[in-house]
Amino acid sequence: MDVRSQISMVFHLDKCIGCHTCSIACKNIWTDRKGAEYMWWNNVETKPGTGYPGKWEDQRIYKGGWEKKGDGIDLKGAGKPQSLTNIFHNPHMPVIDDYYEPFTYKYLDLIESPAGDDQPTARPISMITGEPMDIKMGPNWDDDLSGTPDYARKDPNLEKLSPAEQEAMFQMERMAFFYLPRICNHCLNPACVASCPSGAIYKRGEDGVVLINQSVCRAWRMCVTACPYKKSYYNWNTGKSEKCILCYPRIEAGHAPACMHSCVGRIRYLGVLLYDADRIEDVASADEAEVVSRQMDMILDPFDPPVIEAAKQNGIADSTIDAAQYSPTYKFVKRWNLALPLHPEFRTLPMLFYVPPLLPVMASVTKADNTAQSAGMNPIAKHWPDSWLYDTSTAALFGTIDEARFPLQYMANLFSAGDTAKVGDRLKKLMAVRLHRRRVTVGDVAEDTVSEALATTGLTPQTADDIYYLTSLAQFDDRFVIPAAHREQALEMMEFAGDVKGNTGFGFKNATAERGS
Amino acid sequence: MRQSCSDVILVTAVFVLGSVSGLAAQDQTERVAGSGQELFQTRCAVCHTIGGGRLVGPDLEGVDERRSEEWIIAFVQHSQQMVAAGDPDAVAIFEQYSQIMMPDQALYDEEIRGIIEYIRTAEPTAPVQPVALGEPTEEQILLGQQLFQGRARFANGGPTCNSCHEVTHEAVLGGGLLARDLTAVHSRLGAPGVKAILGSPPFPLMQRAYQDKPLTDEEVIALAGFLQQADAEQALHQPRDYGRNLLFAGVVGTVILLGLYASFWSGRLKGSVNQSIYDRQVKST
Repeated sequence: MDVRSQISMVFHLDKCIGCHTCSIACKNIWTDRKGAEYMWWNNVETKPGTGYPGKWEDQRIYKGGWEKKGDGIDLKGAGKPQSLTNIFHNPHMPVIDDYYEPFTYKYLDLIESPAGDDQPTARPISMITGEPMDIKMGPNWDDDLSGTPDYARKDPNLEKLSPAEQEAMFQMERMAFFYLPRICNHCLNPACVASCPSGAIYKRGEDGVVLINQSVCRAWRMCVTACPYKKSYYNWNTGKSEKCILCYPRIEAGHAPACMHSCVGRIRYLGVLLYDADRIEDVASADEAEVVSRQMDMILDPFDPPVIEAAKQNGIADSTIDAAQYSPTYKFVKRWNLALPLHPEFRTLPMLFYVPPLLPVMASVTKADNTAQSAGMNPIAKHWPDSWLYDTSTAALFGTIDEARFPLQYMANLFSAGDTAKVGDRLKKLMAVRLHRRRVTVGDVAEDTVSEALATTGLTPQTADDIYYLTSLAQFDDRFVIPAAHREQALEMMEFAGDVKGNTGFGFKNATAERGS
Repeated sequence: MRQSCSDVILVTAVFVLGSVSGLAAQDQTERVAGSGQELFQTRCAVCHTIGGGRLVGPDLEGVDERRSEEWIIAFVQHSQQMVAAGDPDAVAIFEQYSQIMMPDQALYDEEIRGIIEYIRTAEPTAPVQPVALGEPTEEQILLGQQLFQGRARFANGGPTCNSCHEVTHEAVLGGGLLARDLTAVHSRLGAPGVKAILGSPPFPLMQRAYQDKPLTDEEVIALAGFLQQADAEQALHQPRDYGRNLLFAGVVGTVILLGLYASFWSGRLKGSVNQSIYDRQVKST
């Protein structure tokens, strides 16, 4: 058993309101630079939709991720033979038009134009060429556009659905969508690391953050092809590839990453998971149906004494083990089995997990008489004159899950390599918690209904309350359990801090002198 | 004291000037008075004989009977102009002697008349038999090669050959472009011609360059040997001329390569996945 620690993430999709604050927070901190304008290390997609870059999930186009070959796995488009034969022209890379051409507006024209009969306008300007341009696309161009022929209906996840199911998804009054925020998954079996001919990409030992060394990167761009999530981007100005760094400078200082810190819906959780690195190869090369469950098995119980012992032997700090025990991601992913990785069939073993969204599949609209309710309201109160009831409760337990507005298969294509049972299981748990809380707060659900729902999903009222707490009430420190980075120890491995004691800070004065001279 | 100093300088200057002008005057009179024989030996005998048969240029015995004096003087002074102007006799000689230009000689009309006079009166020499030389030895060729490139110095300090000449040879990189390419000089002039020119250069510029620094016999043999070898092997050092076939092969090769690329990378991404959307968009221009 080779125990290692990984900082992992959980995104609770039911809570995402699609405001893109995370994307903006990330852009302002990291990618507001020349050559990086088109990069969105964090982006929010509308599902169903084609996403950013367009159709990134379709690996017949982009040849990303791993594929099973015999007993093992091999990179689909950026393995060693492919890299060698395509090293001077990588044939499966997205072009700028697959992302979008970044633009700004000539705002100065608004205030500096000479007086005239016409209102001045701010023309769009390309941030690549600096010339006026027609805006053709944006990083979230398919935002809220479910049902559109260009975006929603070209979602690669629809392929395994029957034509009837697809059509049903986009019927009037049934059409729905949800948001899918995406960052680098900081995978356990990262395709980008495996593909890099320069060896510039590495997974940090202490917390599993995947980083590109900017002084080693030689712009082969194999990582751009290899990453099936298209989360490695090429900076055309510096000639290096870049990707999400999980705000490691913030994490080392004990702060949550910018996207998580700024999240309006508080959908993001971050915490340590301990896992068994010996099993990575087995899990990544397992049969497609087993990849998810075996990835879950690989995550270890931080309370288990042998695991703690092995972790200590591997040099994992007590504070990290402590953080793992309080980790919200451990609860969502392993203890409650509520979260699933995005597209596990790419076999990169992503360490960003999603709690699948219940809302779009659960609500139903029925005709109801609202007159009595409206009559009892204050005349100036807002009330709806129509007689529809947006009903989230149901007489038949989990009825709406099985007759979902989104076919379960669609969710399964996203989160469990097509296995509807796994997604259904998690949605039922979410439903059971909701029924339980409805009974506690509103009281219009019968007790035996709730007990049956909890029993079927294997939850106790206590667990349901815990899930409810972490979902709805959790405070900052509950959502982000960041282990101490122990940078002082890492620093002392490289230099003896006592040598520069008495200077301005530790080594600061020397470094400044060298830079200035 | 100051006065005596300037006196000394003045006197010295007068002496120096006097001696220089005296030398110049002496030279002038010597040249004019120089016998035709002396001039013939220094200027002509390298390439010409009197009754000894053809060397590099024609045998000059009886030349005054074949050509007019004016023609001879004109030819000696500027043969190349005459060839260029199309003088029939000059062109005939030029063609007959393997198109080797006779260098223009800086001689006065009087001097040339003196030489003609000498030729008329001179005893015909015995026919010059091209000396049947043995093949130059490896060492000699190597020495010649080194001398040509300046890797070995001439004993009398003459300038190295490749400062002005070029030879197409694997061992010689980049010779000078001031004088003729010597790759084929052996077949043009023959071994005696080459040796004669090396021993006593008839070309004005070369003459000046080696005026007081003549090549030794050993060096002449070595250089001639090297030039002979370069001539013999020149075919090996000349790139083959493919003519238009080269262009044709290039075009065909390009087409074949592009075809191979197109088939090998036929699965590559072409254009954007969003192209159908872009195509329908209204453009401002």
